[in-house]
Amino acid sequence: MPKTLTTETLPESAPEQSAPLNTVPLRRARRERILSFVMPVVMLCAAIGFWEFQVWYHEIPKYLIPAPSVIAQTLVTDGPSLMASAWFTVKLTFFSLLLAIIGGVILGALFALSRPVELSLFPFAVILQVTPVIAIAPLILIYVDSTFAALLICAWIVAFFPILSNTVIGLRSADHNLRDLFTLYNATPWQRLRYLLVPSALPYFMAALKVAGGLSLIGAVVAEFVAGAAGQNTGLASRIIESSFRSEIPRMFAALVLVSLLGIAIFLLTNWASRKVLGHWHESELQRES
Amino acid sequence: MTAAPGVYVRGTARVGGKTVFGPLDLSAPGGEWTCILGPSGVGKTTLLACLAGTADGVVLEGAAGADDGRPLAGRVALMAQSDLLMPWLSALDNVLLGDRLRGDAPRAGRAGCLLGRMGLEGMEGRKPTALSGGQRQRVALARTLIEDRPVVLLDEPFSALDVARRAQMQELAADVLSGRTVVHVTHDPAEAARLGSRTLILTPTGLREITPPAAPLPPRRPDATETLALTGRLTRCLLDAA
Repeated sequence: MPKTLTTETLPESAPEQSAPLNTVPLRRARRERILSFVMPVVMLCAAIGFWEFQVWYHEIPKYLIPAPSVIAQTLVTDGPSLMASAWFTVKLTFFSLLLAIIGGVILGALFALSRPVELSLFPFAVILQVTPVIAIAPLILIYVDSTFAALLICAWIVAFFPILSNTVIGLRSADHNLRDLFTLYNATPWQRLRYLLVPSALPYFMAALKVAGGLSLIGAVVAEFVAGAAGQNTGLASRIIESSFRSEIPRMFAALVLVSLLGIAIFLLTNWASRKVLGHWHESELQRES
Repeated sequence: MTAAPGVYVRGTARVGGKTVFGPLDLSAPGGEWTCILGPSGVGKTTLLACLAGTADGVVLEGAAGADDGRPLAGRVALMAQSDLLMPWLSALDNVLLGDRLRGDAPRAGRAGCLLGRMGLEGMEGRKPTALSGGQRQRVALARTLIEDRPVVLLDEPFSALDVARRAQMQELAADVLSGRTVVHVTHDPAEAARLGSRTLILTPTGLREITPPAAPLPPRRPDATETLALTGRLTRCLLDAA
């Protein structure tokens, strides 16, 4: 096939504005854009400043509530060891998300294509989903030798279900009139999947990815908390537990900051991916002029 | 394009044992524009689906096909009320969908030319969401045309447009589809009166033909006396059937 039909962005001619440009709404839009960036930053800085001030003013000892500056200092001094832990958590989160995507999409496609497969396997998926991972984790840790693999399984269980269920719904959501159109064009089943079902499923998949991205981090942290008691790994969650045993509160906060940053990074990354994939055609990501 | 064959649908269509239409005997002569009017739910769209071969779950007790004896599959194009554009493809890529699915080299030049003829020059790269309803319908018409199929089925293609746009699109369609066998389902007696070289009314009891005047030939002017008279007759029949 000379040129493939994908949902990637095609080179688009500059959008023509037929209506005369009105400068007032334009200026308002620019102010809106600046505000939407400035306000969160200002508020966040103010909150941190308030925290710093309160700790200093009331002379709260750092083993109760450390000041942001102390946390920052800990981040620097404990940097190398914390970064190693963070890297462990990143790997765990990333691989569990990757496996969740692979497993969820393959199983979702099977479910969508075959009703008997769905009916027979769906109960298992639901059982996996509704059983709290924290309750299964100790068992998995006993049965699986490698701690990393055990943690991976726990995080995967949490992240996998949204991808599975949304893939199934997405693959079934193609407009039936478009299906008829493909029949008229004598499309092969493969073409139908490639050019109709998959693009129709993408908005659902991207929504699931946003959810699963956050969940895989939660799964990774929760699983580490359970395994942390065994003290065999070096993720951020086990650093938090370890620090709490030693009453090193600033280090707990520092690890917590890193977990939050990781979560934010995942959120931004999945949002960006969704905008990249859907931004040029899907309602959910379209930029309206008005 | 080879000579356009006439098409027919005979018999009764049922979905799950419930009759959708029929028994009836519809035949649309080759190369002519046949309009079918009728109240909602009388099976007009199912009738087209029988011709298009997309009537999944519909049992047709009878036959549908072309009067030259060859199968209709691959010789039919359909244009529906919803424009059926793929939202993730640009206007140009939507027009080229058939080429891509057949694995042919996309005829981008021809597609661009057709879009230009529809007054969509410079909008080839736009996604359907960036086009107005009328523009989307024109892209759909361009896609129907590039397929160059002898039989064209129209399912209320212009009902979402305003009066002036609709009149324009009717003239454009009549011009570019002349010589093809057109089966046009519509709710609008005025539209049928403008375009039909044959006008039929489908009711639960069967088909009834209202013969249009011999002159003027379609597309008739929307405000010509003959058009208005035919509109009146068609409206009266629809009211009687209700």
